[in-house]
Amino acid sequence: MSTKSSQSRPLKSTTNRQWRLRYLWDLLRSLVDRDMKLMYKRSTLGIAWTLISPLLQLLVFIFVFQVIIKIDIPQYASYVFSGLLAWNWFQTCLFQATGVIISSRALIRQPGFPTSILPIIVVTTGLIHFVLALPILFVFLLIDGVNLTPWVLLLPLLQLLQFGLTVACSYFLAALNVAFRDTQHTLGVLLQFLFYLTPIFYEVGSIPDKYRRIYELNPMVPLVNSYRQILIQGEPPDWLSLVIVAGMTLVLLPAGYYVFKRQSLRFIEEI
Amino acid sequence: MESAILVENLGKRFNRYHADKPLTIMEAVLSGLRRIKPVDDFWALRGICFEVNAGEMLGVIGHNGAGKSTLLQILGKVAYPTEGRLEMRGRVGALLDLGAGFHGDLTGRENVFVSAIVAGLPRHEVARRFDQMVEFAELSGFIDNPVRTYSTGMMMRLAFSVAVHCDPQILLVDEFLSVGDIAFQSKCLKRILAMKAQGCAIVLVSHDVTQVERLCDRALWLKHGTVKAYGDSDIVAGQYASDMLVQTQQRMPDRADQLSTSGIPLRMNDNRFGSLEIEITGVRLLPKAQMKSGDRLSIEIDYKNERSVASAHFTLSISGQDGQKYLDVTTAGLMQKVIPLENSGTFRLSIDRVDLASGDYFVEVGIYEKDWSYAYDSHSRAYPLAVYANYVSKGILAPPISFEVIFPKAKAI
Repeated sequence: MSTKSSQSRPLKSTTNRQWRLRYLWDLLRSLVDRDMKLMYKRSTLGIAWTLISPLLQLLVFIFVFQVIIKIDIPQYASYVFSGLLAWNWFQTCLFQATGVIISSRALIRQPGFPTSILPIIVVTTGLIHFVLALPILFVFLLIDGVNLTPWVLLLPLLQLLQFGLTVACSYFLAALNVAFRDTQHTLGVLLQFLFYLTPIFYEVGSIPDKYRRIYELNPMVPLVNSYRQILIQGEPPDWLSLVIVAGMTLVLLPAGYYVFKRQSLRFIEEI
Repeated sequence: MESAILVENLGKRFNRYHADKPLTIMEAVLSGLRRIKPVDDFWALRGICFEVNAGEMLGVIGHNGAGKSTLLQILGKVAYPTEGRLEMRGRVGALLDLGAGFHGDLTGRENVFVSAIVAGLPRHEVARRFDQMVEFAELSGFIDNPVRTYSTGMMMRLAFSVAVHCDPQILLVDEFLSVGDIAFQSKCLKRILAMKAQGCAIVLVSHDVTQVERLCDRALWLKHGTVKAYGDSDIVAGQYASDMLVQTQQRMPDRADQLSTSGIPLRMNDNRFGSLEIEITGVRLLPKAQMKSGDRLSIEIDYKNERSVASAHFTLSISGQDGQKYLDVTTAGLMQKVIPLENSGTFRLSIDRVDLASGDYFVEVGIYEKDWSYAYDSHSRAYPLAVYANYVSKGILAPPISFEVIFPKAKAI
């Protein structure tokens, strides 16, 4: 049989830190890969579904706000689609990450499993879907006659920012869900609310000035705006608002991480 | 030798919460966060000290709720100790919840990769050892089928194989011998002993004292979260077994002698032991208490369970006049589960062939608490069994024997 394999210890030569980094990287890769495969296997449309779903949403918005109620926004398809992609990434990840501790019980019970990687896996999987949908967005930009400028190259920066923000929120929600199992239901309502408070199908300009301050507390507002600035308007993003979002993330991320770590341990103990 | 696991004065405290601690956000808001504070705490483990060297196996025994699984969680760094010191030198692997981490919709191959990487093997190493893992699990023909089509046994075999091929320096095992059929179990055991010989430190948590005694170098006996005994496994196992006797003694009520269904008196503390929470009210040897060697024998045990105990273990043995046991089985050993009980009922055990030599024997029966902590009722030297064999055997067995005289073959001319 296979007794000789146990004699080779390839890990001893590398240092502990290197080993850990490689371990986390392998883990991220294989678990994201697993999630993608699962999605692919569960529906006949597979990955295509992640493209069809925002396209259908887009169709509804175009029908409602171009045909029924006329909203005057140029390049409306590109406008709505870019907003939808960013929003869907945010929403799906928060929703999935909330249940992630409970649904990954078997993994968490593995000795030494870094539980805090779980929300990162969810958000990474979402990012891949976002990136897969980008070609379609560029087709819309092309159809709408948008002239791309070098500012488009800032796209990865915005994605990184949204990534950090989503992971930070995910940590809090996943932790909350351990204490209160109805978090996911409550979140559904909250996200719906937040969807309308984000300029997906309308412009920020339509918000009355007296509410603008409160409105812009939603961190998705500057993010969605910036995506459009670099993609559609071809101008630099509003740096100040992005710096504020980055600052928020830098505070929320370690705090969320801490709360999450504490709660994920408690979860195992409660079983 | 260098110690792989060092545990000093380890303690784990759990909080107990109010029974109506809010479970939903709504309730929490309504109750004003008042009831979220723990009302009470208790120590699941306290003052635990032990050491496991590389190449050593430690057995952890104890009844349910003694803290065994909590200890395993702490060793696996899944839970953190409240106090004390814990040092683990080396990568930790585990044989717990075998197959629970598998995803039914993925193929065996995909699951192997995920599990092995989670267990800490680099991707290229998994690829290199993949064939060995599959071959060990005896699943070569099925590895590209989704795991949901596997039987529980197949899943456990695959999970076991992945875990032992990941080269852990420390292995945590929870009752591993229940994997698959007997042949595969002995293969697993061999593999574990080989890992031990190569310097893997192993912690085995088990209900089965004899298993611990047989396999482990040292044993740790946990009782109510503290160490009751720690030392050589045969000594600790002996203490554990005698504790069961003491527990039984303490629970034994005064009871006048009764006649057994065979007419032999049952005297407490002489040929009858137990707390009598469940009583054996009758034992029948069928078809008769006199039998021909090689025939079938059924033993029916009537019991009365007035306290409605949910489940228990039954034991059965056949012993000679000198007390020597020729057969000694438990329902746990036969089918690895406890037997559900009614308020009164009958339990029947059948032996397909009793191949004993001619002689007088006793059938002995017992009912034990589901954690084996004490006996409910146990009758010995009360039910005689006479066996007649077709031929004289001076030993214990008299199985069917045939003989044949073989001459050297005549050579062809």
